[in-house]
Amino acid sequence: MGEAFVFDAVRTPRGLGKSQGALYTVRPVELLATVLRALPARNALDSALIEDVIIGCVTQTEEQGACIARWGALEAGFDPRVPGVTVHRYCASGLQAVNQAAALVASGYAELVVAGGVESMSRVRMGADGGAQYDPALQWAVGSVPQGIAADLLATLRGIGRHDLDAFALRSQQRAVAARDAGHFARSLIPVCDVNGLPLLERDEHLRPDTTLERLAQLKPAFATLGRQGALDALTRRAYPQLEAIEHVHTAGNASGIVDGAAAVLIGSRARGEALGLRPRARIVSAVSVGDDPVLMLWGPVPATRLALERARLTLDEIDLFEVNEAFAAVPLAYAQEFGLELDRINVDGGAIALGHPLGATGAMLLGTLLEALERRGLQRGLVTLCIGGGMGTATIIERV
Amino acid sequence: MSALPNPAGAIAPAFDAAFDGARGLATLRLTGPGADNVLDEPLATALVEAVAWAHALPGLRGLIVSSAHPDFCRGPDPDRWLATPDAAALLARVRRVQQALRRLETCGVPVVAVLAGAVSDGGLELALACHRRVAVDDPRLRLELPALGFGLLPAAGATQRLPRLLGLGPALELLLRPAPLRGEAARRAGLVDALFADHEAALADARRWLATRPDPAQAFDRPGWVLPGPGPRSTAARDLVLSAAGALHQRTAGSQPAPELLLRAVHEGCGLVFDRALEVEARLAVNAARSATTAALIRTLWQHRRRAEALTGGAGGAAGPRVGILGAGLMGAGLAYHCATRGCEVVLRDVDPVALDRARERWARRSPGDGAAVPGALSPSAHAAALARITPTLALEPLAGCALLIEAVDEALALKQRVLAETEPLLAPGALWASNTSALPLASIAAQARDPARVLGLHFFSPVERMPLLELVRGALTSEATLERALAFAGALGKVPIVVGDGYGFYTTRVFLAYLVEGAELVAEGHAPALVEWAARHAGMAVGPLQVADEVGLALARQILAGAQQQLGRPAASPGTRLLAALVETQGRGGRAAGAGYYSYVEGQRRGLWPGLGALSAPGRVGLPVTRDSAAQVGQRLLLIQSVEAVRALAEGIVTHARDADLGAVLGLGFAPGTGGPLAYLDRLGLPAACARLDALAAVHGARFAPPPLLREAAARGEPFYPVTE
Repeated sequence: MGEAFVFDAVRTPRGLGKSQGALYTVRPVELLATVLRALPARNALDSALIEDVIIGCVTQTEEQGACIARWGALEAGFDPRVPGVTVHRYCASGLQAVNQAAALVASGYAELVVAGGVESMSRVRMGADGGAQYDPALQWAVGSVPQGIAADLLATLRGIGRHDLDAFALRSQQRAVAARDAGHFARSLIPVCDVNGLPLLERDEHLRPDTTLERLAQLKPAFATLGRQGALDALTRRAYPQLEAIEHVHTAGNASGIVDGAAAVLIGSRARGEALGLRPRARIVSAVSVGDDPVLMLWGPVPATRLALERARLTLDEIDLFEVNEAFAAVPLAYAQEFGLELDRINVDGGAIALGHPLGATGAMLLGTLLEALERRGLQRGLVTLCIGGGMGTATIIERV
Repeated sequence: MSALPNPAGAIAPAFDAAFDGARGLATLRLTGPGADNVLDEPLATALVEAVAWAHALPGLRGLIVSSAHPDFCRGPDPDRWLATPDAAALLARVRRVQQALRRLETCGVPVVAVLAGAVSDGGLELALACHRRVAVDDPRLRLELPALGFGLLPAAGATQRLPRLLGLGPALELLLRPAPLRGEAARRAGLVDALFADHEAALADARRWLATRPDPAQAFDRPGWVLPGPGPRSTAARDLVLSAAGALHQRTAGSQPAPELLLRAVHEGCGLVFDRALEVEARLAVNAARSATTAALIRTLWQHRRRAEALTGGAGGAAGPRVGILGAGLMGAGLAYHCATRGCEVVLRDVDPVALDRARERWARRSPGDGAAVPGALSPSAHAAALARITPTLALEPLAGCALLIEAVDEALALKQRVLAETEPLLAPGALWASNTSALPLASIAAQARDPARVLGLHFFSPVERMPLLELVRGALTSEATLERALAFAGALGKVPIVVGDGYGFYTTRVFLAYLVEGAELVAEGHAPALVEWAARHAGMAVGPLQVADEVGLALARQILAGAQQQLGRPAASPGTRLLAALVETQGRGGRAAGAGYYSYVEGQRRGLWPGLGALSAPGRVGLPVTRDSAAQVGQRLLLIQSVEAVRALAEGIVTHARDADLGAVLGLGFAPGTGGPLAYLDRLGLPAACARLDALAAVHGARFAPPPLLREAAARGEPFYPVTE
C-alpha cells in the first residue's frame, strides 16, 4: 500500500458563534472559500491539479445545505474540473475528511486531495438540520441523550468532579492564550476579510484570558434543568441502571465554545509532492473510526485510539503529543485517566474550551495544530482524536518526515 | 319538527334518526343495546349508513349526534381486542371504524356532538370526529381514556385528532397521563366547546350553532392549516417529544410498551397527511393490542377482576352495614373514613383519646375545603356527610349495634386476642368479627372466640381508598354465611375480593415478604442498590424492594420475617436478613417513619439511597460489575422469588385458584401487571424453562429458589396454570 503525506494545513481564526461574532456576516460558503483559496496560493499550486475537495460540515441545511464542498471550491476560484464532496460524521467530520483523503491517496486512487471542514454556528444553528435520532422508537430501542447529558453521565461514571473540570478548562484557556501570544498559530491562520479585502477577523476571538477558577466556579450547570425537569436523565437508566442520579457538572465554561471557522489540509502522494515542489511535513500512519455506546456517546476516543495504535503497530508511549477534542472537559480528562497519561502531553496549545469547536471543521484544525506543535518541539509522532455524536470515535496518527 | 319514518336497514337499532326539515337538521341518537353505546364495528357500519341516509335528505344543513342513554358512548370491552389474533384482520377491523368516523367528519355538513355522562375511549373519539362538542355539565359527565390502563391505544383517531385540535404539548399531556376530565376541566382543555345545565339547553345551542352555517370541515381538513403550537418537525416539537419520552421512562422504567407506542403514534403521525396518519395510529394500535403485556393486563385487570367483583353480588350502591372499627391508627382511621364515604355508619373505638384526635386530624386533611380541587377528593358536602356518619368513641357500648367489627390495632397477638375477648361478647347473633391483620393466623387470634364461625380476616391495603384489593381470610371454622356477608360488604366498599386460607402471612404478606427480603439479599451480595431498584421497576414492579421496605418500616418487616421463620420455617437467616438487622439495630435506620432507612429522608421526603449501604453490606468488597444483562437478571430474580412463594401458597391451599394469586399480587402488591401476575409470569416463561431457571438460581443463591413440587409436576405434565384455550 502507498502512503499519504500532509503538505500544508491552514485554518481561519474562530469567530464567536453568535450574532455579535466577527464572522457572523460571512456566508458559510465564503468562510470555506477563504481556506480553500489559501492552499493553492501558499503552495504555488494550480487548483486544477487537485483531484477532490472533501469537506466536513455537520449542520448541512440552509446555507450549509446540499454540498457545500463543491460550492466552496467554486467560490474559491478552483478550476471547475475539481469535484467536491461533503461529509458528516458529527464532530469528527473534519478529521473524517482528512482520513478519507488519506485513504484515496494511500490506495492510489488519487494523488492530490484537499480535506477540511467548515461550520458557521452563528448563521446555521446547531440542530437546524433535524436528526434521525430524535425519534421515540429509536429512543426506546437504542437510547440516546443530548450530548450535555452524556457529558455529565461520563463525568459521574468516572468520578470526575466539577473542580477537576474547571481546572482543566482554566488550563485550556491559559495554554491557548500563551500559544496565541507566542505566535504559535501565526503560520497557519488565514485572516478572513470582507469583500474589500478589509480584515474581519485575524485572531481567535473566543479566548478568555481573564478566566479564573473563581469565575468558572460561579457558572451554573448547563444541563441540570434539561436532565431533571426535562426528564432526559431518565433516558440513560436502561444503559446505566447502577447510577441513581447524574451529577450535572458541565457549564458553559468547561465545555467547548460555539464558534464559526473553517480549515483545509493538502494531502497527497510523495511522488506528486516532489513533482510539484511540495515539501511533505508528515505522513499519515493510521486513520480509523469506531463505534461505541451511543448513550454514553463520548467514550469513542478510547477504542479509536487503541485501534489506531494497533493498525500503526505503535504503543501509547511512542506517541509524543495528543489532541483530544475538548467537546466537554470530561472527555480529555476521562481519556487521560483511562490511559494513565499526563495532561502535559495533551492539547499543549489549548483546545476547544478556549478556542471553540466549529463542529465540521475542528477535526481538520486539530490535525494542523498537532502538526505545528510537533514541529515546534522537534517531536515525531502525534495522535488526533475526537468524540462523536451517536457514540463513535475517530483517530488519526501522524509522523513527521 | 317533522320526523321521517325510521329508515330500515343497518341504522336501527343503533340510531334513532330524525329530520327537522324546517331547520335542515338531522339528529342521530345513539340507541345501543342494553344501557350502553359502544363504538364497535356494528356501530361503525350503522354510522356509515346513517351518514348516507342523512346525505340524501333534501335541504340538510347540519347533523346532531347525541345519546338516548345516560352515557354518551364508550369503546368496546378490552377483551374484545383479544378476539382477533391475526394482525391483518385486526388492522382491517380498526381501519373500518376509523373510516366510519372519517365519513362522518367529511360528510359535507357540520356535525355537533351533544355529550352527557361517560364519554370514554371510542366514545370520546366519536365526539372528536364531530366539528363541535357541547356537554351537559353534571357530576356524571366525564371524558376519559380508560383503555390505556389495559395497554391499549386509542384506535379511532384520538392520537391524531387531539394534536391537530390542541397542539402537540396539550395532546401529549392528555394522552400520556390520562385522568377523567369533568365538565369545566374538559372545557378548559379544549375538548368541549360549551357546557350547559341540561340536555335541552345543549341541544338548543347545537341548533343555534348549526344555524350560523359554520364550516362543514375540521380545521385540519382546510387548506393552509398548520398544527397549533410548535410545528411537527420543529426543534420545539422535538424537545417536547424528547421530554415526554424522558418523563415516560422515568415513570415506567421502560416496563410498558403501550405508552411508548402511543408517543410514537403522536410523534410520527402529526407531520403526516391526516388520512395516512390514521393508518400510522391503526398499525401501532394493533401492535399494542397484540403484545403479551397487553394480553396479560386485560386478562388480569379486566377478566379476573370482574370475575372477582361478581362474587360480591355487585358493587356497592346501597348503604353498607353499621361497622365498628377497633383502633384509630393510620389504618383504622383510614378504614373508618372509607367506609363512611361508602354510606356505612361507623363507630371508631380506641382506648386513647389522643389517637381519636389524630384520626380527626387525618380526616380533616382529606377535604381541602372549597376552591381547591385535589384529584380524588370528595366534594365538601360529601366529606361532611361522611364525617357525620362516624362516631369516634372511647366506650365499648356503641359497638353493640354493629353488624361487623373490624379490628385494626397493632400487630401484636396478645393485644388482638384481648380485643377479641373484649368485643366479641357485644355482638348480636349473625354479626361478624374481623381482623385486619396482615399476617397473624386467625386460628391464633380467635383461639378463644366464642363463635369462631363468625370470625374472619379482612386484610385491607393502604391507602384504603385507592387500593382495590381486599384479602378475605377464611379460618378453618369460618362459616359459609359469614363469607357471603363479608363478600357483600366488600361489594358495598367497591373492593375486589380474593378469598384465601388461614396461615401465617396468608397470601399477600408471604409474597410481599419474599420480595422485600430478596431486595436485601441483592444488596448484601454487592449489587448496586440503584440497580436493584431500577431493575425491579423495569421488570414492572410498581415500587422497588428497598423503597417498599422503607415505606412499610424495617422493624415491622423484621417482625413479620421473624413470624414467618417461626411459623413457616422460612426464610432462612442469610446475608439479606443480616443486612436488615444491621440497618435497624446497628445503624438505627428503621425506614421512612424513622427518618432514615435504605434511603435518606429530609422532612419526610425521600432524598436518595444511603451511600453507606455498600460498606454495610459487603465491607471491603468491590461492588458487582454491571453488564448489559444485569438489570434483566436482577429483575427476573425479584419476580421469580414471588412466583415461587405464590406456587407454595397454591400448593398449601392458601389460595385456591391461580386467578386469585395473580389478582391478589397485582392489585395488592403492585406485582408487575404486564406479566399478568406471579403465576401467569411462570406460564409466560414456559413452566419447564421456569423450572430450569429456578434450578440454576437455586444452585447459586440457595434453596429459596427451588421449584416447589407442584411446579415441577405441572411442568412435567405440560399443564400451565392457565389452560391455553382461555
